[in-house]
Amino acid sequence: MTKNKKWIVLFLLPGILLFSFVFLGPIGVLFGTSFTNWSIGKEISFVGLKNFKYLFTEDQTFVDGLKNTIVWILLQATFHVLIGTTVAIVLAKKKWYSSAIRTIYFIPNVISSAALGMLFLCVMNPQYGLVNSFITKITGEGFTQNWFMDPKSAFFAVTMTWLPYAGLVTILVMAEMSSVSEDVYEAAKIDGASSFQTDIYVVLPLMKNIIGTSVVLAATSMLQKLDIIMMTTNGGPGSRTMNMPMYLYKTVFTNNNYGLANAQGVLLVILGLIVLKSIRKMFHMDAKE
Amino acid sequence: MKKGLSKVFALLLALTMIMSLVACGNKASNDADKETSTSKTDTTAEGSDKESKAEETTSEPVEISYATFMVGSHASAAAEEEVISAFNEKYAGKYKVVVEELPSDNAFVDKMKILASSQTLPDVLIGKNGIRELAIENGQAVNIKPFLEEDAEWMKIVGEDAMNYNMAEDGSVYSIANQRQIIGYFYNKDMFATAGITPAKTWDEFMSNNAKLKDAGFTPLALMTGENAWTTNLWLAAMIGTDGAEGNKFMNTSYPTNYNNSSVIKGLEMLKTCLKEYTTPDAVGALYANAANNFEQGNVAMIANGPWMCPDFTDETKSAPGMGEKVGVALYPEDGLVSQFEVGYILCTNGKSEEEQKGALEFLKFKTGEYAQSVFLEKAGVLPLTDNIELSAEYKAANPVLAELIELSGSAKYTFENIDNTAYSAIVDETSVRYPELAYDEITPEEFADTLSKLAEMNKQ
Repeated sequence: MTKNKKWIVLFLLPGILLFSFVFLGPIGVLFGTSFTNWSIGKEISFVGLKNFKYLFTEDQTFVDGLKNTIVWILLQATFHVLIGTTVAIVLAKKKWYSSAIRTIYFIPNVISSAALGMLFLCVMNPQYGLVNSFITKITGEGFTQNWFMDPKSAFFAVTMTWLPYAGLVTILVMAEMSSVSEDVYEAAKIDGASSFQTDIYVVLPLMKNIIGTSVVLAATSMLQKLDIIMMTTNGGPGSRTMNMPMYLYKTVFTNNNYGLANAQGVLLVILGLIVLKSIRKMFHMDAKE
Repeated sequence: MKKGLSKVFALLLALTMIMSLVACGNKASNDADKETSTSKTDTTAEGSDKESKAEETTSEPVEISYATFMVGSHASAAAEEEVISAFNEKYAGKYKVVVEELPSDNAFVDKMKILASSQTLPDVLIGKNGIRELAIENGQAVNIKPFLEEDAEWMKIVGEDAMNYNMAEDGSVYSIANQRQIIGYFYNKDMFATAGITPAKTWDEFMSNNAKLKDAGFTPLALMTGENAWTTNLWLAAMIGTDGAEGNKFMNTSYPTNYNNSSVIKGLEMLKTCLKEYTTPDAVGALYANAANNFEQGNVAMIANGPWMCPDFTDETKSAPGMGEKVGVALYPEDGLVSQFEVGYILCTNGKSEEEQKGALEFLKFKTGEYAQSVFLEKAGVLPLTDNIELSAEYKAANPVLAELIELSGSAKYTFENIDNTAYSAIVDETSVRYPELAYDEITPEEFADTLSKLAEMNKQ
């Protein structure tokens, strides 16, 4: 065991060094500078909790961004994973269409977000977009809804650019399902369970771990969502589609306020840890390990 | 034995992992080493001695880094390419411009701000949207004034007006304008004739013209609120800048902090009607390309834009056939005109090698010199900084819209700057996310102005 420890340390060393330089150091700087007034070319000065106080009491855009981020995390952790899991269960039946659908459904996951943003801008264009043209065709009346810019539909439209496309969840769940022994299905069949009952009462409980992992991946992806929002609405109208990463980005590059941006970064890290801990607790992931 | 062998393999594996990490980190320097060693090998092959090897190394052209957004489909892309090639050709073996191409204004501004934060801005670049201020603050920008003063020929081509425009309170000059801008609006003469109207002399007439155009079945305005809301903000600047002495003063003030004034609110009120009634359904949120395309394809009657758009009207890959003959140009109502110099090029060579400093200065001189100004005028419709670059009679005949605009500029009663030049970049960004709210009645012009005031105050601090 003592001998092994030496090897464990040796193998872990590159990773630990890399993590320390790339993540740990910057995170330390992030936390430290979040208590300062700091912008390019100006003297850095300690301001205590002023940045945090400002964000919560005076900065409505930040509060809106925080609320939107939380709502998107919840939607992603529930509906997104539900859709992905449902598609996985359907495709696992191995019908003639399964392979094609699986490939098509995964396409949004392999296209860059910037390209996806442009795609949705065209699809939802009020004048010549596919969606409005389709509605016009069906209703016979000119339909020019500005999906991304109408304050009433902007949040919905932006959410629709990622929520239904759960290709990654589908692939993960399908991979886990393929490892379930045929005996389990046969036993369920002998006990008289229908296909639907087998899926709900036998397969799904066995998928708990991978669903938990999918929830973690889906929820935390919302803590990084930036490019597609930037491409479609830039956080507007007003701050209706603003989220924390987007506002952090604007605080740095538009307002040149690094201290305030780093305070947002700290809150983003804390939110991430809370999300992670909650999901692990919900799926008893810690207990299992 | 087996155990010993596996230990050796394990050790080798760990070493390989570490080496690969180190190797990744040193890629750039390795590449540089590789280049040097190649050059050394070549020299040795030629049988030269040690001294000539050193000469070979120093005779490598000095690389000048330059970043630009004038690439791809940008109106000035062809002119930009020609000027850079001409410089590289003129200084072959001595200097070489290494260009970093950014495909849009926004991508350029964002990237440069990132580089400013790590003091790694390229040697020469356009310092718009707050980049110049960041470069001054981070200590990279060079005061160009002494160089202008010691080179009379360059000073003559740049002109005192352009220099004074970018002069700070302490007398330093950190940027050289790349163009003089006079911006009115273009209109479709056929549509105006069908609607029975002429370019408006007052803002009431302007709104009445919009109504007449709409009644005649045309969409009056090519507006867009995405990106920097360029065409929409030009109209807003004109509405404010022609609203008497107060409004005009506001639009000639750098970084104003109080937007809660009657001129701004009146302008926003008018724009609200325009966004709701007199533009294309996709204007709210649209990009510049959408607005330009709508006008150039003959779908819309008016667009506020600068003379650099003129070459597009006769380019059938961009405009509908015959568009060049249909386009007229006018001053804004109340005889208003955006008249300004651009922020222009900054020199970020503080702390760099002497050769690089010299080369970058030479490139800046070339880029703002007579030849470059002529190329940009001819190929991109960009107005030269002074009258020292004359517009020939042939040029005027070939570019009647531009010639007409220059003639009209003499009769402007109000001249003012645009919002991109006077406001903090956060204000420009804010207008693009607030216009949709204004257009959909979610906020009032007063609330809009109030938001801008608060933001400006915050940026000032």
